[in-house]
Amino acid sequence: MTIHNAKQDSVLNQLLPSSLRAAIIASSYWVLSLSLTSPSGSVAAFVGCLFSCYLIDGLVNRPPLRDLRLSVIAITTLLILCAGIFLSSVITSSLTVASLLSPLLTYEIGEVLQWFLFAAALTALLRILAHRTGYGRVVEILFVATAFVITLAAHRQGMIHRPFFIGDYALTRGIDPSSILMAMGCGAVLAMAGLLMMENNHRRLPYHFTVLGLLCFSLLAYVQLFGMPSPRLTDDMGLTGVARGEGSAAEQENPFRDGENDASDKEAPVAIVLFRDDYEPAGGSYYFRESAYTEFNGSMLAVTDRDDLDEDLITHFPPVRADIEEPLPLLDKRQAVRTTIGLLAPHRTPFGLDTPVAFQNTPNPNNLRFKQTYDAYSMVPLLEFPDLIGRSAGDPGWTPAQRQAYLELPDDPRYRELADTILQDLRPGYADDPYAKALAIKDYLDRNGIYSLKNEHAYAEDPAASFLFGDLTGYCMHFSFAATYMYRSIGIPARVGIGYSVPASNRAGGSSLLIQAINGHAWPEIFLDGVGWVIVDPAPGRTLVDMSVDPQNSLQQLLGDMLRDEAAFDEFISSQQDEPFPLTVLLQTLVAALLVTLLAAYTVKIYRLRAPQFADPALRYRLSYRATLDMLSALGQRRRYGESREAFARRLSTMTPSFATMTASHLYAALGPSGSVPEGIQAQPRLPPTPDWLALQSRIRAEIGSHTPWWRRVLAFLDPFAWLKTH
Amino acid sequence: MTLEATSANTAPLTEENTALTETTDQGAAPATSSPAAVPAQTARLQQAVTVLNRLSSAVRSQVLGRDDVIELAIIALIADGHVLLEDFPGSGKTTLAKALGEAIVTPLQEQADDVAAAIVPFRRIQFTPDLLPSDVTGGSVFDTSTNSFHFRHGPLFAHVVLADEINRTSPKVQSAMLEAMGEKQVTVDNTTYHLDKLFFVIATQNPLDLVGTYPLPTPQLDRFLFKITMKHIERDAELDVLDTYKTRRDHSQQRIQVTRSDVLMAREVIDMEVVIARAIKTALVDISRNLRSDERVLQGNSTRSMVLLLPALQVLAALRGRSFVSAEDIETLLPRVLGHRVELAPGVADLGKVLHDCMRDPLEQLARATLQ
Repeated sequence: MTIHNAKQDSVLNQLLPSSLRAAIIASSYWVLSLSLTSPSGSVAAFVGCLFSCYLIDGLVNRPPLRDLRLSVIAITTLLILCAGIFLSSVITSSLTVASLLSPLLTYEIGEVLQWFLFAAALTALLRILAHRTGYGRVVEILFVATAFVITLAAHRQGMIHRPFFIGDYALTRGIDPSSILMAMGCGAVLAMAGLLMMENNHRRLPYHFTVLGLLCFSLLAYVQLFGMPSPRLTDDMGLTGVARGEGSAAEQENPFRDGENDASDKEAPVAIVLFRDDYEPAGGSYYFRESAYTEFNGSMLAVTDRDDLDEDLITHFPPVRADIEEPLPLLDKRQAVRTTIGLLAPHRTPFGLDTPVAFQNTPNPNNLRFKQTYDAYSMVPLLEFPDLIGRSAGDPGWTPAQRQAYLELPDDPRYRELADTILQDLRPGYADDPYAKALAIKDYLDRNGIYSLKNEHAYAEDPAASFLFGDLTGYCMHFSFAATYMYRSIGIPARVGIGYSVPASNRAGGSSLLIQAINGHAWPEIFLDGVGWVIVDPAPGRTLVDMSVDPQNSLQQLLGDMLRDEAAFDEFISSQQDEPFPLTVLLQTLVAALLVTLLAAYTVKIYRLRAPQFADPALRYRLSYRATLDMLSALGQRRRYGESREAFARRLSTMTPSFATMTASHLYAALGPSGSVPEGIQAQPRLPPTPDWLALQSRIRAEIGSHTPWWRRVLAFLDPFAWLKTH
Repeated sequence: MTLEATSANTAPLTEENTALTETTDQGAAPATSSPAAVPAQTARLQQAVTVLNRLSSAVRSQVLGRDDVIELAIIALIADGHVLLEDFPGSGKTTLAKALGEAIVTPLQEQADDVAAAIVPFRRIQFTPDLLPSDVTGGSVFDTSTNSFHFRHGPLFAHVVLADEINRTSPKVQSAMLEAMGEKQVTVDNTTYHLDKLFFVIATQNPLDLVGTYPLPTPQLDRFLFKITMKHIERDAELDVLDTYKTRRDHSQQRIQVTRSDVLMAREVIDMEVVIARAIKTALVDISRNLRSDERVLQGNSTRSMVLLLPALQVLAALRGRSFVSAEDIETLLPRVLGHRVELAPGVADLGKVLHDCMRDPLEQLARATLQ
């Protein structure tokens, strides 16, 4: 009874850690496969690992597996692994299977097959390594750790909101992704610790696991109570707005920033614009409007989500093409310009050269470089002063609500007072002209304003008022808000245009134009009847910051070529590489060289084996012996360095006794008395020991044949280089 | 190289030789029965080998469990060299030397001349510090009947001389031995007396008891072909010695014997018929050069040692049924020959390893040479 119990105990003792280890490794496969395959593929990987673990643990000390060499096992498992990948690709690429079953089912079958074989083969190799070698267990533990690390690496530095599969899974179901991540981390720690502890003492396993579990639980509790460490701010996503999900555009950020406008990354490229038509701006700057602050939300102007305002702007990237329906007046004073824009930083909405009429997505020539590429069709105004003067403000077709929205401003009488003061000096001829008024106010700001990035208005109740009635020191946002409020206070519909303003000189004669972070800009616009939105951009005469950047003509050229997707870019890239490495040529040469070598080797091998039959009988002692040595060498029987021929023959005497005879004859021929008999002795007939070398050779072959397994003989037959080791 | 290795090498060959002897005795044998039978020896050479085997079995019937030493002693005898045994007292040295000496007889018809008559099969000299050269060589004695001096032969005039504890005697006597061993002659009172052609010295020295000894000078050591360090014989062999002691003592008369002329014939035939290929000599020279340039070696071997080695190689090849010297013969004999000739640098103890290292490359070249 006790014996029976003990036996059962030992079986249990073996089965328990084996199962635990199998479960841990299998779970690491599951985690690893999560991001790479479908759920059924993950399950297949899990099952494949379990299967392989039990198989290897059970069979590792039994004859077929025990007798195999490690290298053979490694090659076999790698072959199985490759076979899985190959089979899977065959199944998924075959039309017959896909049409017999459904395409989805075919895909699933392929994944299941591939992951099952992958997990089974790799686990088998790892388990056998762990059983046979000292370092195998370390490799196994490293593998488990790597599987977890690879999977969780995307979420490092607390990056839980980034759109990766685990985060996605949690976010779409309304679960806090941090819990899932923490749970996975704890799982990883438990798994690793389990594997490590299993290496010697199984008895204290439950105790260790309890302590570990407590540790993990306290960690989880801590996170639940105090939250995860907050992610590091990443401001490398572009300046003019991070691409966000739907609805987030309504969230208003404070457009005013105190001192945060450090110009450290002012040279960062934001977009590249390709001009498809010839165009030079009259005002010296290209304006690209992305959006506008139009609607007064009680404290400041913001991007509107009303349908009846800013109908000339679009709010989202179009799937294919978007035309702006708003009719455009004064077509004879406009020039159609097509530009292709490649975004290097993500943007919320597309932008185009002043007064875009249509956007169309274009194929992205390099999706690693460009976030998005599109064509912007613009009707660029070529308006002179006479075209603008004498027009009334606003559109007569506007509803009162629309007009009201374009005229709303903070409830601050000082705007009107200041505007009136400025307009007092206006010539009487222009006293009622909206454009003249606008220019007067711009002129006031030009003369009195000071451009600076170091300002302290952002947290005032009305930053624009703080700027305008304070130190008049600020940047484009302050100027444009102040101007817009003043325009609105005297009845001119106005808004703040947001986008980029690039000096025309930056184009440097080419057809491409680089937009850099420093070019981000805001400007006031007024609406004139019969013209539309007209930019009246204040340009302060005094500035406290140096906003000049080095022209990046080569980068501009490079990105332009890249966006144009022309051969020039490929040529440029290839010109940058010294010598393109001819990998295919090299491979072909290698293969050819290998084939020639093999052919030559086989030729020599066959020649050396056959030579005794055709050779001069006097040389047979050498050739025949060499052929026999080749034969033995192919079987892995070689004379050791420094070993005498007789000793070698003795070593082989059990396998081929005739070889000793041949060796003796060979040595007699090589070292014994040669043909010339020394003087003095003769009459004694020397016995010329010329055995039948060929018969001897065939006898040795027969002896070898009866002493070696067939597969060894096949290998020996195939070995092309055995003769190289003959000596 | 240790003695075990040597015995491992020689043991199967001894059997082979016995087989060969039987073949000769029966007169007919299938041509392919034995591997070694293919490169056959000439009849003369076989005859010579038979003589050696008879000599060998004669000594082996008297000395049990020392087959390796007997083999080496016979090789040295035929190769015209001498043997230095390092051994403990009572291990059969005298028995061996006596058996060897008494196995060689001189038929009556050959004892014609004076010198031959004075030569006996075996003499034993116990070397002591007060020994004089004339005690060894012999001296002039005044004969009152003829009123003249005549030469009285000393113990050196024998086929086999056992020089017991040779390191205990004075350098004077050792130098007399030197001349005898090197030139096969003794000079007394300015008269030179030739020793027998078979003159063969088996000298012994005790490896432990070194107090009051005169260590042999290097040139004298160089005259010994082999220095053999013996260990105690196997348990079974020792038991055999005790078992058969009486039989051997009582039947000492019915021993196998060979004649002196047979031995001389064997020496001559082997010298002429066993070929030493140039590759073999090349290997020997290369090994010597390797040894001399090895930094673990203080003093390498002399050229004479190689010259002395050649006949020994021939004898061993003949004993192994060959008519040519092969690499195996070098492997077997070289450690015996060089053991007492090579002086190792301080701190280096294992001569076997040094020799092995120095022999590897030349022997490999030798093996490869046969295919070229």
